[in-house]
Amino acid sequence: MNNPSAATATNVSKIYGHGDSEVRALDNVSVQFETGKFTAIMGPSGSGKSTLMHCMAGLDEMTAGSVTIADIDIASLKDKELTRLRRDKIGFVFQSFNLVPTLTADENIRLPLLLGNNNGNEEWIQKVINTVHLQDRLTHRPSELSGGQQQRVAVARALASEPAIIFADEPTGNLDSTTGNEILSFMRKAVDELGQTIVMVTHDPVSASYADRIVFLKDGKIAGELLEPTPELVLDYMKKLGH
Amino acid sequence: MLRIALKGILGRKARLVLTSLAVILGTAFLSGTAVFSATLNRTFDNLFSDVFRNVDSYVRSTQVIEADFGAEERQRIPAELIETIEAVPGIADVQGDIQAFARIIGKDGQPLGSEGAGPPTFGSVGEEFKGALWTISEGKFPSNSTEVALDEASAKAGKYVIGDKVKVVAQAGSRDFTLVGIAGYGDVRSPGGATFALFDLATAQEFLAKPGFVDAILISGDGSVSDEELAQAINAAIPSSYKTETLTGAQITQETQDQIGSALSFFNILLSTFSYIALGVGSFVIYNVFSISAAQRQRENALLRAIGASKKQVTRAMLIESVVVGLFGSVIGLFAGIGLSKALSALLKAAGIDLPTGGLVVPSSAIVNTIVVGLIVTVSSAWLPARRAGKVPPLAAMRETAIEIVALTRRRTIFGFVLIALGAATIIAVTNGASNTWLGLGILFVFSGTITLGPVIARPVALLLGKPAERLRGVTGTMARQNSARNPKRTSRTASPVLIGVALVTAVAALAASIRTQIDGVFTEQFKGNYAISTTARGFGGLSPSLADEINLLPEVERATGVGLLTVKIEDRGQYLTTINPATAEGVFDLGLTSGTYADLTAETIFVSEQYAENNDAKLGDTIAVTLADAEVKSLTIAGIYELDDLAGKYTVSRDLIKDSTVINFDLGVYIKTKAGISEESARAVLQAAVDKYGQGTLLSKREFIDSQSGQINQLLGLIYGLLFLSVIIAVVGIIITLLLSVFERQREIGLLRAVGMTKSQVRTTVRWESVITSLLGAVVGIVLGVGLGWVIVYALRDQGLTSFSVPISSTVSILIMAFVIGVLAAVYPAWRATRVNLLTAITTS
Repeated sequence: MNNPSAATATNVSKIYGHGDSEVRALDNVSVQFETGKFTAIMGPSGSGKSTLMHCMAGLDEMTAGSVTIADIDIASLKDKELTRLRRDKIGFVFQSFNLVPTLTADENIRLPLLLGNNNGNEEWIQKVINTVHLQDRLTHRPSELSGGQQQRVAVARALASEPAIIFADEPTGNLDSTTGNEILSFMRKAVDELGQTIVMVTHDPVSASYADRIVFLKDGKIAGELLEPTPELVLDYMKKLGH
Repeated sequence: MLRIALKGILGRKARLVLTSLAVILGTAFLSGTAVFSATLNRTFDNLFSDVFRNVDSYVRSTQVIEADFGAEERQRIPAELIETIEAVPGIADVQGDIQAFARIIGKDGQPLGSEGAGPPTFGSVGEEFKGALWTISEGKFPSNSTEVALDEASAKAGKYVIGDKVKVVAQAGSRDFTLVGIAGYGDVRSPGGATFALFDLATAQEFLAKPGFVDAILISGDGSVSDEELAQAINAAIPSSYKTETLTGAQITQETQDQIGSALSFFNILLSTFSYIALGVGSFVIYNVFSISAAQRQRENALLRAIGASKKQVTRAMLIESVVVGLFGSVIGLFAGIGLSKALSALLKAAGIDLPTGGLVVPSSAIVNTIVVGLIVTVSSAWLPARRAGKVPPLAAMRETAIEIVALTRRRTIFGFVLIALGAATIIAVTNGASNTWLGLGILFVFSGTITLGPVIARPVALLLGKPAERLRGVTGTMARQNSARNPKRTSRTASPVLIGVALVTAVAALAASIRTQIDGVFTEQFKGNYAISTTARGFGGLSPSLADEINLLPEVERATGVGLLTVKIEDRGQYLTTINPATAEGVFDLGLTSGTYADLTAETIFVSEQYAENNDAKLGDTIAVTLADAEVKSLTIAGIYELDDLAGKYTVSRDLIKDSTVINFDLGVYIKTKAGISEESARAVLQAAVDKYGQGTLLSKREFIDSQSGQINQLLGLIYGLLFLSVIIAVVGIIITLLLSVFERQREIGLLRAVGMTKSQVRTTVRWESVITSLLGAVVGIVLGVGLGWVIVYALRDQGLTSFSVPISSTVSILIMAFVIGVLAAVYPAWRATRVNLLTAITTS
């Protein structure tokens, strides 16, 4: 790990519309996400936190600025190369509808590898599956799994290809708090024990407190940072920002 | 509710277009065939009212033999009657008429006009006559036995100018004439695409028919009496011993138009049958689209229910939508059909059936029929989905995603199996002696049962067929396979149109293969020579009998014999007799005589088949009374019995029987055995020279001949395939629509896949394989049904002499390949749409 930054955004702007109706979803944002760390992005709705994640993950095009993932400048990539980058270097966990309903849990976990005709590192995959306790659910289809189990499969999929970075968008938003905490613990474990890098968008202070560092966004700009957060610290900080 | 329904339709124009597409195609074929038929009828009606425009009376023989398939042979009448008629008061002009087979040979040695299925090639009388439609546009009418006039279109096609030598082939053989005139036919250059060679009356009698006889006498009145009075006067003037009748111009026009009308009606029935098949196939697509659209609007409908709409109102809204779609689609379909009728003419032309084209006729019945049928089919196809839409519980509004209910009831399985069992039982009953008419019902049961079982078998079969895709394409293949199996009802509804189309094509192919096998066997057994001259002319014209005689005399030829057909009346029924030349038949055309020898066949004897002898308890020495076309009755003694009756049928006579009669006499084939030691080149050279001299028939080796005999069914096959193609198009459109709607439904899934690294080409692969699997599902089940159906048809035709059933292996393979290609093609647009799915809207929860 020579480079401490798994993903870097430099002067990223995202503008919708023109003239009077112009909306700056991201306004000249520069941020780095360190390798081997769990970072949370927080902010009120409309603050641009999801847009930032989408731009950095190559899911949305930015209007200006540059993003590098694992030292690759993604602005210069064509659709096909960008798709490959997402497949090989980035893991995703979404809030809902994370899994392909026609595939088994095992197939869903290996999906990015299968799409790349890549067997992956079997030892690693087994380790991931053990970490999220899915050994006995592998042959089930998503409809046969609980919400928590589905999210565990999603986390395992994000980890399976040993990506440079994992982006999680409100991964516990649809879960009850017990199940949500379980997922967050797994993500924490993935960083601590498996050395992964995770960036998570959330609006929940408790979820955010699982992270090593919190980046706050407001009106499309970086509004501040918090290291070693606890739920209380996060709430305080949010009050300070005018929530 | 009406407002909501209409708003719903307009709010989703794309869906309206997709749904209407199926209606448009179905009704387009319906209106297209109706317009085509009406146009064709009108064209022929006009043609014949032109032909007899100035004919006030028409005298002909009352002696007529009607054979199978509406073929009719009328006796000729003596030409001396012309003088009798001329003496009747009120007559302006009288003309003997002959219309017989004659082919004009082009300068390149090729006959003008098509052999066989095309418009007829006529030889006729071209003389000055007040009632005639022929008018000389260049030169003059022929006036002696060396002169001929041609219709304008033929002269142009053969590049003939006045003064050229023109070769014409007719019953009396092949002769050269000098072209002295070019004639126009009313306002047209050639009536209905037929070719005409015109002669003076004496030449026509001698060359085309028989000296001293004419086919009919045309009379033009001077206007002093009415047509009816004139006809009566003429009839009174002719002694009854001549057995003639006199028709007015209006009567003969009407009769000819009716004859053509009934000949065309078979064709019209064929066309409308296939257009209804296409519409039936289309109704599956309509049903499918409404089902999917109801499923996709589940939340919307649930919301309507939640805020107080009744079940009935929700159902009615959807039915109103179907009425709008039905009307919209039918009206567009009507116009598309008018364009299609033009394409249909082109299709038939490509199949070798060139029909005259007149102005387009759009009968009001076609307009009403198209719209009413289109509306009924659409609304009834939407009925079940609409009822299901009404049954949606209001709570469904709260559900995350709308998924079509896929529960398969045990009732469906039982019902499907019961239907199939009933069908099978009916068919088995027929094989055990029940009437053939039950077969149709049996087939219908089996088809309905299979369609009912469709959703039940769709999943396992799709999964099985998808195996190779998974092997080949990895996880994209897996997804395609699972997608095609995830909603078995939808998959089976999508595959059903393919199934029906493929089943029909396979059945026809099986029938054709069986006929081919049969023909092959028959000719191999009976035709002992090594060359044959064949003509595709059936029922009208053929090879001059002297061709066989001439070839028989060639030094290179050991033996050559001509075989022809004769229409006669036996016990008041039209029958076909095979005519052979007993002096040359032996050893070339083998009848498999079980008693008697070829030498026993004379002008006074007849051979019958073993089958006939058995059925009629006939034996050697019995006599059969045969009425020839000239009304002469011959009592023929049975002098031989033969076992090979596939070619010869029940009766075989010597051609000497009709040598000196007015009966039309042609050979339909000449069978040749060359002498041992004659090389293929020299044999072909001398035989071809003989054929060229007559300008008629095609020289073929034994193998080529057998192939060409079985090849004749290819034309019919081509026509049927062409018509079934309509259904295939609808099936393809059905796949396209379903895939599009599925892609729309799976937007989020596709977005997710794209996000986690599926490339666009992988997205396309998934859609493509799903399409291929669906198409193959229909094809495989269709082939199984089609082979069964083919067997049933062949079985039903066993009394017509079809005894062997063959599975059409090569057709089956090409159908599977086609189904694959269809799957790939149908997926092109939906696959492209799938790659256009917006990634972000798909994955962000709104």
